[in-house]
Amino acid sequence: MGVSIVPALRALKPAALTVATGLAGVLVGFWANAAFFPGTSPRQPIEFSHKIHATDNAIPCLYCHTQARRSTVAGVPSVRKCVDCHNIVAKDRPQIRKVMSYWANQQPIPWIKVHDLPDFVYFPHKRHVQAGVACQTCHGKVETMHRVKRVAPLKMGWCLDCHKAHAVEHGLDCWTCHK
Amino acid sequence: MAKLERRDFLKLVGAGSVGVGAGFMLAQSIKHPLEHLIPYPIPPEEFSPGVATWYNSVCSMCPAGCGISVRTREGRPKIIQGNPSHPVSQGRLCGLGQSGVHVLYNPDRLTTPLLRTGDRGAGAFVPTTWDEGLAKIAERLRTLRENDRGNRICFLSEGVRGHLAMVFERFMEQLGSQRLWHFDFAHPRTLYEANQRLFGEQHLPYYDLKNARYLLSFGADFLGHWLSPVHHSLGLAHSRQGRPGVRGKFVQIEPRMSLSGAAADEWIAARPGTEGLLALGLAHRIVSAGHYRGPDRDGWADKLSRYPAERVARETGVDADTIARLADSFAQTQPSLAIGGGAAGNHTNGVDILIAVNVLNYLAGNLGGAGGLVFNPPPAVDSPRRHASYRTMLDLAAEARAGQIEVLIVNKTNPVFALPAAAEFKEALARIPLIVSLSSFMDETTALADLVLPSHTYLESWGDDFPEPGVGFPVGAISQPVVSPLYDTRATGDIILGLSQRVGLGTALPWANMEECLKQGWREIHQRGSQNGDAESFETFWTSVLQAGVWGQDAHRAAPAVNIEPRVIDGIDVEAPRFSAASEEYSFILHPYLSTGLHDGRGANLPWMQELPDPLTSVVYGSWVELNPVTAQQLGVSEGDVVDVQSAHGRISAPVYIYPAIRPDVVAMPIGQGHDEYGRYAQRRGVNPIQILAPEMEPSTGALAWSATRVKLVPTGRRVKLVKTDGASRQLGRNIVRTIKAVSS
Repeated sequence: MGVSIVPALRALKPAALTVATGLAGVLVGFWANAAFFPGTSPRQPIEFSHKIHATDNAIPCLYCHTQARRSTVAGVPSVRKCVDCHNIVAKDRPQIRKVMSYWANQQPIPWIKVHDLPDFVYFPHKRHVQAGVACQTCHGKVETMHRVKRVAPLKMGWCLDCHKAHAVEHGLDCWTCHK
Repeated sequence: MAKLERRDFLKLVGAGSVGVGAGFMLAQSIKHPLEHLIPYPIPPEEFSPGVATWYNSVCSMCPAGCGISVRTREGRPKIIQGNPSHPVSQGRLCGLGQSGVHVLYNPDRLTTPLLRTGDRGAGAFVPTTWDEGLAKIAERLRTLRENDRGNRICFLSEGVRGHLAMVFERFMEQLGSQRLWHFDFAHPRTLYEANQRLFGEQHLPYYDLKNARYLLSFGADFLGHWLSPVHHSLGLAHSRQGRPGVRGKFVQIEPRMSLSGAAADEWIAARPGTEGLLALGLAHRIVSAGHYRGPDRDGWADKLSRYPAERVARETGVDADTIARLADSFAQTQPSLAIGGGAAGNHTNGVDILIAVNVLNYLAGNLGGAGGLVFNPPPAVDSPRRHASYRTMLDLAAEARAGQIEVLIVNKTNPVFALPAAAEFKEALARIPLIVSLSSFMDETTALADLVLPSHTYLESWGDDFPEPGVGFPVGAISQPVVSPLYDTRATGDIILGLSQRVGLGTALPWANMEECLKQGWREIHQRGSQNGDAESFETFWTSVLQAGVWGQDAHRAAPAVNIEPRVIDGIDVEAPRFSAASEEYSFILHPYLSTGLHDGRGANLPWMQELPDPLTSVVYGSWVELNPVTAQQLGVSEGDVVDVQSAHGRISAPVYIYPAIRPDVVAMPIGQGHDEYGRYAQRRGVNPIQILAPEMEPSTGALAWSATRVKLVPTGRRVKLVKTDGASRQLGRNIVRTIKAVSS
């Protein structure tokens, strides 16, 4: 004696359209989030423009991100570094006033990370910078951006493509990046 | 086209909206969480973010004095490893030493001075300021000092060396008190006495395991915790595998196989307390077989004639053939070395035993040369002989009960935990009007304090250390802060210096802080050194010692001609060991041993040490009683059965662990667990065997004979599952370890 599920399906038929609409909605919602709220260009506490600094005033990356050559992290400039110039430069702009108020209170500026790797990835800036990889290879043309936007996917496959293309020594070993 | 009902339309709209919302949230939830990038307002000068900085310092987790290198990132210590330049640790470190970061970051650290509000021991404290706390005690100290009652002040510290010990000395001297004691449960008091009596040496010799070819250890678990385990491990490794074609042989004599016993080539379980007799039996054989040819040979032969192999074999339980074999190999394999300590030194005849062991070294010619006993030159800064014996602690308790102690300052030692209940030390403390603790943790003694002035951990303070036993030449190291203080605590030395300023002891203790005191002390060391033509400036010297993490002098002491006087030879004898209680009712000898991770209990608040399996039983997180399988069978218990361990002085219960490598008449228990206080990781875990020890002493030193307690075992009927990492301890036909039968012709 067989058991059929056909009667049960038949009973569900009136609800099928509703369910299908719901599922379609999920896809639309997912797409809408990914398309309109990508999180690749978060709004920062201060509207800092890399274009003004790096292109208009031609300040090199390593002037502020001083650690990139010798540390795992590139280093975000201290508040004092901002103040060193803005004590004199563009003092009256509202965004600079904001910087100065952080400085007056000796508070750090809570920047939001645009390029963030999971904690299980070991990514040393120093190795890449010293090997001659340009900052723009991973970070995009930051010097043209008013608000920084992440352009690279920062996924493992993307890392490995580059390691393969440059035949990096031990570049495909698990332990190179996952220590 | 089918007509769409209003109801159906609403359903579809509803389903669609819910779907869009759910889809949106789903996409949101799989996004990488938003993280901040927080800059420094002002960049630090000492380090770069993301780049590790290593600082050399000194480990304070046990008295060995290993040199350490601490890796810090963004000003925070991340890992502690051995300093490769330091001759004691040579780049290695034990688990307890590595756990130093858990002392620093421990969530149960005392973060601010505390003042007791409720009853003593009720645990009610309110935070106070350093000013108030110091003022409170300084006033009492000043009054006592001005009324010539300074001797009513007692200072009880953990064992300290170097300039901190000197500061303590001067502080108490200026207050007019002789009651300054260092108290460590495991301090080898009897070993010092034995060396003093036989060799006239105040300092422990350096045991050169590294170059020995035959090592005979009487009870010393030198790989586990005895004196300097990291250094000894290096030494044994070299003795075994560091010399092509030579493999050092090593025999361990002890009633329960320790970590060292497990590493030995041969493990001999002599009767507890007869290790000295066995040593003299070996000595007898060495002399009578003609291995010893010194001028005082006849004197020794005469003396040792009382220890013929038959008698020794009968009393120690080691057969005469083995005695002869050991004695012959010991005397004929040069260089050889006999060491004694641990349980063997903790009997009522502990000093006799350790003297007898040194007699072996004398007869085999192991004094002063490589691979033997190397006498240490005096350290650059000598440590005062202040270690309190059990008898001293009893006297102290009596004085407290008699109202002769009005202020007790306790520095990071925990006598309430580390003294048997029979000492009634806790009760005596109740009679002291003011107890001040300088501990970093709320341990059992600190819980009884009226005022807690929490110290920095060693990773946050200045200090120095001159390890003892040294390594045969003068060595010292400066302990430097590797991290800014995490909390509102102060360095022990700074607390004492601050107090002395408030009491008005300025001239004898003129330093503003410990760093200044150290600099002056090391300036003297530098000056002494520069007499030998060392021209560098003091600042260069200081910086280089800090950077290297070690200072040493190439000043090996010429081996002193050790002539043991006939009077001393005459006095050599081993009394029979005494054990507490009648042996019929209390039929087992309790063998408490320092656990590898928790040491004397100080490591119990360190999560890594709690979860580190005991190297021999693999048990974690608790206490257990080790029984020989035969004993267990007689008692009708198996692993996990909880038994009451009763001495005439108390009772504790713990689960049974069946351990084949222990004498059937001995039961062993690890020390370290059983804390009532000491933070979340230590509390309410296991039992403390120290509490039930009988107050037996070695008579000449007053040292607690903590291997001299007899116990009885009473099964409770309860069962627990032991938390351990190994599976079955037997092969069950799996042929894991292949064995062959030796056939002698």
